[in-house]
Amino acid sequence: MFANTYELIVFILNFIGIYNPINDFFKMLGIEYVLRIIIVLVEIAVLFVFILLTVMFLTWMERKVVAMVQARYGPMVTGPRGLLQPVMDGVKLIGKEDIIPAKADRWIFTLAPFLIFIPALLVFIPLPFGESLIISDLNVGLLYIIAISAISPIAILMAGWASNNKYSLMGAVRAVAQDISYTIPLALSAIAVVLYTGSLSTVDIVTAQSGTWFGFIPKWFIFLQPLGFILFLIASIAEMGRIPFDFQESESELVAGFFTEYSGMKFAMFFLAEYAHLFSVSAIVVTLFLGGWSVPFLSFIPAALVPLVSLGVFLVKTYAIIFFAMWLRDTVPRMRIDQLLKIGWKIMIPLALINLLVTAFILTAGRF
Amino acid sequence: MAWISKDWTMTGIIKGLIVTLKHVLRIGDRPTVTVQYPYEKMKLQPRFRGLHAVDENACIGCGICEVNCPNGTIQIVKHNTKWYPQVNIGMCMFCGICVDVCPMNAMKMTGNYELADYSRESLIYGPDRLLFNKEVKQ
Repeated sequence: MFANTYELIVFILNFIGIYNPINDFFKMLGIEYVLRIIIVLVEIAVLFVFILLTVMFLTWMERKVVAMVQARYGPMVTGPRGLLQPVMDGVKLIGKEDIIPAKADRWIFTLAPFLIFIPALLVFIPLPFGESLIISDLNVGLLYIIAISAISPIAILMAGWASNNKYSLMGAVRAVAQDISYTIPLALSAIAVVLYTGSLSTVDIVTAQSGTWFGFIPKWFIFLQPLGFILFLIASIAEMGRIPFDFQESESELVAGFFTEYSGMKFAMFFLAEYAHLFSVSAIVVTLFLGGWSVPFLSFIPAALVPLVSLGVFLVKTYAIIFFAMWLRDTVPRMRIDQLLKIGWKIMIPLALINLLVTAFILTAGRF
Repeated sequence: MAWISKDWTMTGIIKGLIVTLKHVLRIGDRPTVTVQYPYEKMKLQPRFRGLHAVDENACIGCGICEVNCPNGTIQIVKHNTKWYPQVNIGMCMFCGICVDVCPMNAMKMTGNYELADYSRESLIYGPDRLLFNKEVKQ
C-alpha cells in the first residue's frame, strides 16, 4: 500500500534495481529533481492517454447501447463490431474546416473548448483508480473535484456567449442555471458521506468502505446513505447534461445548444469533454457510494496483484454506473426546463438538507 | 403540494427501464431487424418491379409499350435487324403498365434495383442491356 502512484513506480524501479543508478546519475549532475519530474510526467501522460482511450470507447459503447435498445446493430463496418468507429470519427473531425463565425468573439470562442476539456481531465488527479493508483492524494480531494467541476459552467457560458447565436446563448444560460441548481444537492449529499469518514481525501473515503457488516454486506455508503446515493446520482446526471436533463443541447429546441457554431476539432473537444465528464462523474459516484476499488470478499489476493485487481474492480463498478446513465438516456424523454428547476430547488435541495441533518443527528447521537 | 402525488414513486420510469433492459439483454422475442444492406440484402417479393427485361424471341417491336408509357420513357429502336424497346430508367416510375399492355408477354420486370449511375446517358438502357433469351417453346 503506497500513498500514490509515484511511490509505487519508485518501488517498482527499486525492485528491478534501476532506480538507484538513474538517481545517482542525476545526483552527480546536481539535478536530482529531474527524475521526480519525469516520473510525474509519465504518470500524468499514462493517465490522460487512458482517459482519452476510455472516452473514445465510451462514444462507441453509447452508440451500441442505444442500438441494442432500439433493435439495431449500431456501428458495424469499421473494425470488429465497429470498434474503430471513434478513430474514424476523430479522423473525419480533424479533416473538417475550423469555422469561426464572422461576428463571434474570436478569443473567447477559441478558449472555451480548452477550458471545458482541461477541467474534465483534471478531475481525475485525486481519484483513486485502485489501491495506490492515484496521482495525488489531496487531503481536500472531494472539495477539489467539486471545485474543478464547477469550472465547466463558465466554459459553457463562454462558448454560448462568444458564438453570438441565439441558440448557443439559450443553451448556455440553461446549462448554467441547471449546473448551479444541481451542484448544491450534489455537494450536500457528498458532505453527508464526509460526515462518516471525517476526511475529504478520496483514499480515506474508499478505505472507510472496506470490510463488511455481518460478513456479507459490504460496507459501502450506498447502504448507509440510500437517499444520498439517489440524490447524488440524479444530481450528477443533471451535471453531466444527459437526457432527461440535457437542456444545454436539447436538439429539438436549440440546434445543439452551446456548441451549435463549433466545428472540426473544437467540436470534438466538447464531445470528448462530455464523455470524460460522464466517466469522471461515474468514477466519483463509485468512489463515494460504491466502495471505490475496495473488494470486500477478496482479502486473500497476493499483494503484488492488488493494484491490478483493484483497478479492475473499480472499472467494473464505474462501467456499471456509466451503463445506467446510458440506459436511462435511452428510456426517458427530456423534461421541461421549469420541471427541472422545480425538482432541483423544491425537492432535491430540501431532501439533501434533511439527509444531511439526519446523518449528522445519527452520528452525533449514536456513533454508528 | 402537487408533488406529493403518485409521480414520486417513479413507477413510470422504472417500467420503462425494465422494457429497455429487456431489449438490451434480448429477453423474449426481440430480434435485431436491421439488414446490413451492402453485405446482405432483403428477400424481394416476386411482384417486385425493378429494371425491365425484354424477351428477345417474343418481342415483335409493335410499339404498344411506347404508346402506353405515361412518362414517355420507352422508345422503339433498331437492334440487329429487329426492333426492340429502349427504356430511359431516369424517367421511368416503375408503374409496370408496359408489362401489362405487352401483347406477347415479352416485357417483364426483374428484381434488379441497384440502378444508380454516374451520368444521365448511362441510365438509358438500350436493347443490348435489356434483352434476354428465353427458350422458344416448340
